[in-house]
Amino acid sequence: MAQQPLIHYHVRWRSSGHQPGASHGLVAGIGDQLRSVVMLRDNPDPRRLDLRTSLRDPFENIWVHDFNLNSALKVIVLVDTSASMGYVGKVNRLHVAQEVASQLALSAYRSGDAFGLYAAGETINKQCMLPPKANRGAWLWVNHHFSKIKPQGQHADGLFEAVPYLPQKRCLVFLVSDFRWSAGKLKSLLKKLSHHDVVPVMLQDPAEVDELPKSGIAILRDVETGAGQFVWMRASLREQIADIRAQHVKIVEEASRQYGNKPFLVRGAFSSALLTKYFMERSA
Amino acid sequence: MNALHFFKPELLWLLPLALLPFISYGVKQFSFPGLEDWPKDFISNCLRWGVRSLAALTLAALIIAAAAPFTEGGTVTRVGEGSEIVIVLDRSGSMSEALGENDHSRDAKFVSKIEASRKVLLKFMDQRPADTFGVVAFNAAPVRVAPLSADRELAKAALQSAEANSSGFTALNRALAMGLDYFNNRPFTATRLIMLVSDGDAVIEKEDREILKNAFKQTRAKLIWVYVHAGVEKNILDSVIAGENEFISERHLKEAEMNQNVAMNKLFEELDIPYQAFEVNSEAGLQHAVAEVARMTNKPTRYEYRLPRQDYAVYFYLLTMALLGVLIWLKQIEIRAWKV
Repeated sequence: MAQQPLIHYHVRWRSSGHQPGASHGLVAGIGDQLRSVVMLRDNPDPRRLDLRTSLRDPFENIWVHDFNLNSALKVIVLVDTSASMGYVGKVNRLHVAQEVASQLALSAYRSGDAFGLYAAGETINKQCMLPPKANRGAWLWVNHHFSKIKPQGQHADGLFEAVPYLPQKRCLVFLVSDFRWSAGKLKSLLKKLSHHDVVPVMLQDPAEVDELPKSGIAILRDVETGAGQFVWMRASLREQIADIRAQHVKIVEEASRQYGNKPFLVRGAFSSALLTKYFMERSA
Repeated sequence: MNALHFFKPELLWLLPLALLPFISYGVKQFSFPGLEDWPKDFISNCLRWGVRSLAALTLAALIIAAAAPFTEGGTVTRVGEGSEIVIVLDRSGSMSEALGENDHSRDAKFVSKIEASRKVLLKFMDQRPADTFGVVAFNAAPVRVAPLSADRELAKAALQSAEANSSGFTALNRALAMGLDYFNNRPFTATRLIMLVSDGDAVIEKEDREILKNAFKQTRAKLIWVYVHAGVEKNILDSVIAGENEFISERHLKEAEMNQNVAMNKLFEELDIPYQAFEVNSEAGLQHAVAEVARMTNKPTRYEYRLPRQDYAVYFYLLTMALLGVLIWLKQIEIRAWKV
C-alpha cells in the first residue's frame, strides 16, 4: 500500500454522537461552537465564565458558556462485490475498492471517528462485516478481508440487506461500486440511505472508457452474465462507447442529485488527495 | 460427368470436426465488467459468424482434400495407325537351299532362300515406315533377336545377321509362341502381325496347335506366312488361292495332303485365326505381299484408351490455403492486449 495523504472529509451536518471527535456535534460538551450561556451551577466550569453576561445580570448570577461537543463521526463503507467488481483492466477494481476502504479506515482512526464496513454481492457477505467503532487496526482488517473476497454475483442487491446494520443516526456512508446496476437500483438504495450522508464512489477503468484498443477483433465476455460479444474495434465504435460511459456517469450523478449527493468518480487508481478535494468542493 | 469418388473415404468421418469452430470462438477473449450497454454493432455480429464459418470451411476443405476426391477419367475410343509386326524368320537348314528355278547354268548366281527373304524383308521394312518391328529367328530353338520396338536399325541388323544353320529340327510352334509373346503386356494400340518367313518344312503337334490357337486369340494377332519357295517344290497356291477367296477342289485337297507345305498351309487355316499366305520367289511376289499387308493393316484399329483420373484434391488444398491466409490475416488483426 503506497503511502497516501490522509483523507480530510468534512461534513456540514452535526453528528449527534457523544464521542468526542473532530466535527461539530449536537450535544453539549467541549467544542468550539457556542451552544448557549448557562448558569455556573449548571455547568460548574469557571474557565468558561461569560463576563459580559454576568455583569449585565441584575440578579448577579454567574454565567458560563456552554459549547457543542466536537463529536466523532461514524464512517461506513458499503462495498459492492458483484462479479463486475472483479474486473481487471488497467487496474484491479477490487484493489481500488480496497484502497478506498483502507485509506478511509486509516483517516477515520486519525480523526477519531468510528469506521465500519459492509460488503455485499447478491447477498450480504457476513464474513466481511465491521460494525462502526473507533478502530486503530481497521485498515489492516480491511486489507486482510479484501484479500479473501471473491467478487461474484450478477447484481449487488445484497447492499439492501446491509442497510439495517447501519447506525440509526446519521453517518457518513461511502458507497463503493462501479454502479453497473440495472435502472432504478441506485435510486432505491439511495432512498433507503437517505438519512445518511452518502458519497457514491464510482469506480471506472480507463480500459472500459477511453483507453480502448484502436482497432482489431476480439471477444468480450461479460464477467457477470457470461455473455460473449464479438467486437471489431474501430474509431466509430470507440466514440460510441465513450459516449455511453459518459452517459452512465450522468445517470449516476442525476440519481445522486435527487438525494442531495454528488458521486466521486475514481478513474483508474484511487487518489486520497482527490477525495479530500472533493470534500472541500462539496462543503464550499 | 463421372461420379465423384474418394481415395480415402474413411477420412470423411472427420468432417464433424469442422463444427469445432462453432463451439470455440477462436479469437482472444477479454473479460469485461458489463456488456448490457454495449452498442449494438451489426458489423461485429456478422464478423462473429463470418470468422466461425470461415474456420469451419477451412477445416472441411482440408478434410475433403485429405480424402482425395477424384473422378474417373473414363475411356475414349482412339484409332491406331501403323502396325506391330513380329518377323519370325526360319533359319533352318532348308532355307540355305537355292531359290528360284532350277537353273544349273554357271552364270546363274546362287541365291539362298534365307538371303532372298532377308532382302525381301529389308525392302518391306523400308516401305513400311510407320510400323514397329520385332524379330525372332528359329531353327531347332527360337531366339529373341530383336525386341518389338521402334528401333528399326536393331531389327535390320538382326535380320542381316540371321544365317541358315541346319540343326535337323525346326521349332516352328515355339517360334510362333515366342513371337506372340512379344505382344504380351503391351496395350493393344495397333494391328498385330506375325510374319512367318519360312519354307514350310516344319510340323506342329496337335496339342501345340491348341496352345497356339489360344495365344493368337489372346493377342489378337494376325498371321502372315511368307512362303519362300523353290521352284521344284509344290506350290501351295496350287491348292489354295491366297487370302479369303479360296476355292478348294477335291483333287487339290488330296494333292495338298500329300505335300507337307501344303499341309502346313492347311494347318494354319485350321488354327481359326486371321491368316494369309504369300509365296515369294520374285520381286512381283514381294510387291503383292506388301500391298496385301498394307491392305490388312491400313484398316484403322479402334481401341479403348483409359484416360487418367481427374484429381480434385489439389483444388481443395488451394482453397484451404486461401482460407488459411484469410484466417492468418484475422489472427494478425486480433487484439492481443486490451489497451490502446
